[in-house]
Amino acid sequence: MSNKILVIDDDNALREMVGIVLESEGFEVSYHDAGSGALDKFKSSQPDLVLLDVMLPGKDGIEVCREIRAVSGTPIIMLTAKTETDDVVRGLEAGADDYVVKPFDPGVLTARIRARLRPLGGNSEDTVTIGPLTLDVVGHEVRRGTEKLSLTPLEFNLLLTLANKPKQVFTREMLLETVWGYHYKADTRLVNVHVQRLRSKIEEDPDNPKIVTTVRGIGYKAGQA
Amino acid sequence: MKLRGAVNWALGLFRRSLQARSVFSTMIISGIAFAVVGGFLSFSIGNGLFSTRLEQVLSESERAVVEVQNTFSASSVTDEIALQTLMNSVVPNLESSGASDSRQVALLRSPGQSTAQILQSPISADLATEIIPADLRTSVRKTNGKLLYQSISLTVDGVSQPGIVVGAPIEIPLAGKYELYLVFDLSSQQQTLDFVQGTLLLGGFILLLMIGGVSYFVTQWIVKPVRVAAAVSEDIAKGALDRRLPEKGEDVIAVLGRSFNKMADSLQQQITKLASVSKMQQRFVSDVSHELRTPLTTIKLAGDLIFNNRDKFEPAAKRSAELMHDQIDRFQILLNDLLEISRYDAGAVHAELEVQDLNGVVGMAIAAIEPLAMSKGSKIEIDIPGGEVDAEIDGRRIERLLGNLLANAIEHGEGKPIRVAVGMDEHAVAVSVTDSGIGMTRAEVDRVFDRFWRADPARKRTTGGTGLGLAISLEDTNLHGGWLQVWAKPNEGACFRLTLPRRSGVIFNTSPLPLPPIKSVKPAKEQK
Repeated sequence: MSNKILVIDDDNALREMVGIVLESEGFEVSYHDAGSGALDKFKSSQPDLVLLDVMLPGKDGIEVCREIRAVSGTPIIMLTAKTETDDVVRGLEAGADDYVVKPFDPGVLTARIRARLRPLGGNSEDTVTIGPLTLDVVGHEVRRGTEKLSLTPLEFNLLLTLANKPKQVFTREMLLETVWGYHYKADTRLVNVHVQRLRSKIEEDPDNPKIVTTVRGIGYKAGQA
Repeated sequence: MKLRGAVNWALGLFRRSLQARSVFSTMIISGIAFAVVGGFLSFSIGNGLFSTRLEQVLSESERAVVEVQNTFSASSVTDEIALQTLMNSVVPNLESSGASDSRQVALLRSPGQSTAQILQSPISADLATEIIPADLRTSVRKTNGKLLYQSISLTVDGVSQPGIVVGAPIEIPLAGKYELYLVFDLSSQQQTLDFVQGTLLLGGFILLLMIGGVSYFVTQWIVKPVRVAAAVSEDIAKGALDRRLPEKGEDVIAVLGRSFNKMADSLQQQITKLASVSKMQQRFVSDVSHELRTPLTTIKLAGDLIFNNRDKFEPAAKRSAELMHDQIDRFQILLNDLLEISRYDAGAVHAELEVQDLNGVVGMAIAAIEPLAMSKGSKIEIDIPGGEVDAEIDGRRIERLLGNLLANAIEHGEGKPIRVAVGMDEHAVAVSVTDSGIGMTRAEVDRVFDRFWRADPARKRTTGGTGLGLAISLEDTNLHGGWLQVWAKPNEGACFRLTLPRRSGVIFNTSPLPLPPIKSVKPAKEQK
């Protein structure tokens, strides 16, 4: 079964070209060309992943990202022409999993997509416990007691990676490699922003985290220091 | 030490504060004026007191002398004892008579007379005859019955007091020539004078303090607007272009305020205009670069697709696909560099500083450039100190910067070895990249950091630099508060030395590495 990808971009040529590249890689591609109506298109096409341009007519990509995130945890990769801090961080804070800077290599684009679609393997346990949380690895669910927490697949992977080795401190680079699938130096802001988002969902007090804690100057670990 | 501190503080205040200087000068000048006026007053009062007293003394003395002379002339004593008694009575008579409160009397026999001294000279009890000056006595002897006087200094109770001695010759029948001296004490006049002087001094001192206070307030009043003007200009210089001076009244301060504000207005206009032009230009570069990105992405994706299928094409189309593929990459690098420099121009760059091992960053830069170096036949020799060279740097930027220097060294190194050295000291770390290639002339060195400048336009471009590499490197260096310096000599090679503070904001004066580089004595370790 091929994965379905929704490409939302207002540039006709780019949209078509991205489609050609993805189809040649065996993905099933659907398209949308504006910010308005993007959510309806998302609901009707049920994609496995969304490629989303930041600058869209009508409604900008960051707003669209927020809308999709409100209803679904489907991976979102932003396409951005700007690498300035604001744009990237705003996209990530709106819930995007990753971003690709224009102009990109076709190889880079497909690698990023595959990394997001790849299931997290190598887990022997069916359930993992961390603090008050129980992670159901097979069902991709997190519960605090009986309350079910809604995490995106990326956030789940991030939490599971940390929870699998509760004693280990993960550097941002290690997390980028394990969770995002980057094998070279990448933007560590990805990690920072997503840890913040994760904490806002799982911690009782996100400003005083107890489940995912910061190890100053190194990175993050599960449980308290 | 404490005193020196106080003196230094006072000198500093004097140098810094216009007000302190004004108050001080006013007080000095007033002080001099007071001294002159006070001195004159005290002199004339003293003179007046003296001459009044002198007149009185002289008239009293004249009366006394006439009286004494008459007493002797009219007396009919014939024997010495009676004469002595008469003479002795003169002194107490004179001592007690007259308006003056105290006087002393001496009736002295003139020396050098043929008749023998048989009579004692009567003298007031506490009068020392030595105080009567010898020259006065000489003059009295020569004078013809006229009164003579002289100012002298009397010692009363161990204290020196001014006095006057008046003398006149007296002819005593039977006994010969005598001289009558009356010594008057001026201590009450001196006391009056002392009191006047003391009052003058105290009054002057108080007046001086008051003048100091007044001048303090007046200068405060004058200096305050100047101080405000200074503060406002400081603010404007710091960038608060909309600060203005108050424009109250019609006086010179108001005029200053108005012209200052006019100047600030026109400055602000100019600066705003320039800033907006420059901002527009930077924006334009930034927008163009961004707008180019979307079509470039399509071109790149298409180019890659065509490139990957090139084996299916006939030779000409295949070669075209290869050329297009390379040039798209170059175009992309150029665009990225343009964007980077436009970000610097817009001041939108912030370093992501982190303490890390510079050796590691150097190693990564070398590893990345190694394939290019191999293809050019340049061996990279490294001279790196043992242990960690920790520095607070933006690793991504420094790695890119070093990659740039290395690429330059490889391009201009003519296949000769390239030497990379790392050094550190207490305040700074440094990396130098040295090649032994074609080098540069002085004029070329001066332009090496200019945008799009190339050492030799005729030279073929082999490594495909954008011409912005060193310009960006210099910006990256400045972002760290470091130095990027170059040494070069035609046909001997070039050396770029990067010096960075070990911790952000640390001031350093010297680099841990020499420039020009010293040829290494020990055999350089070879990069594996």
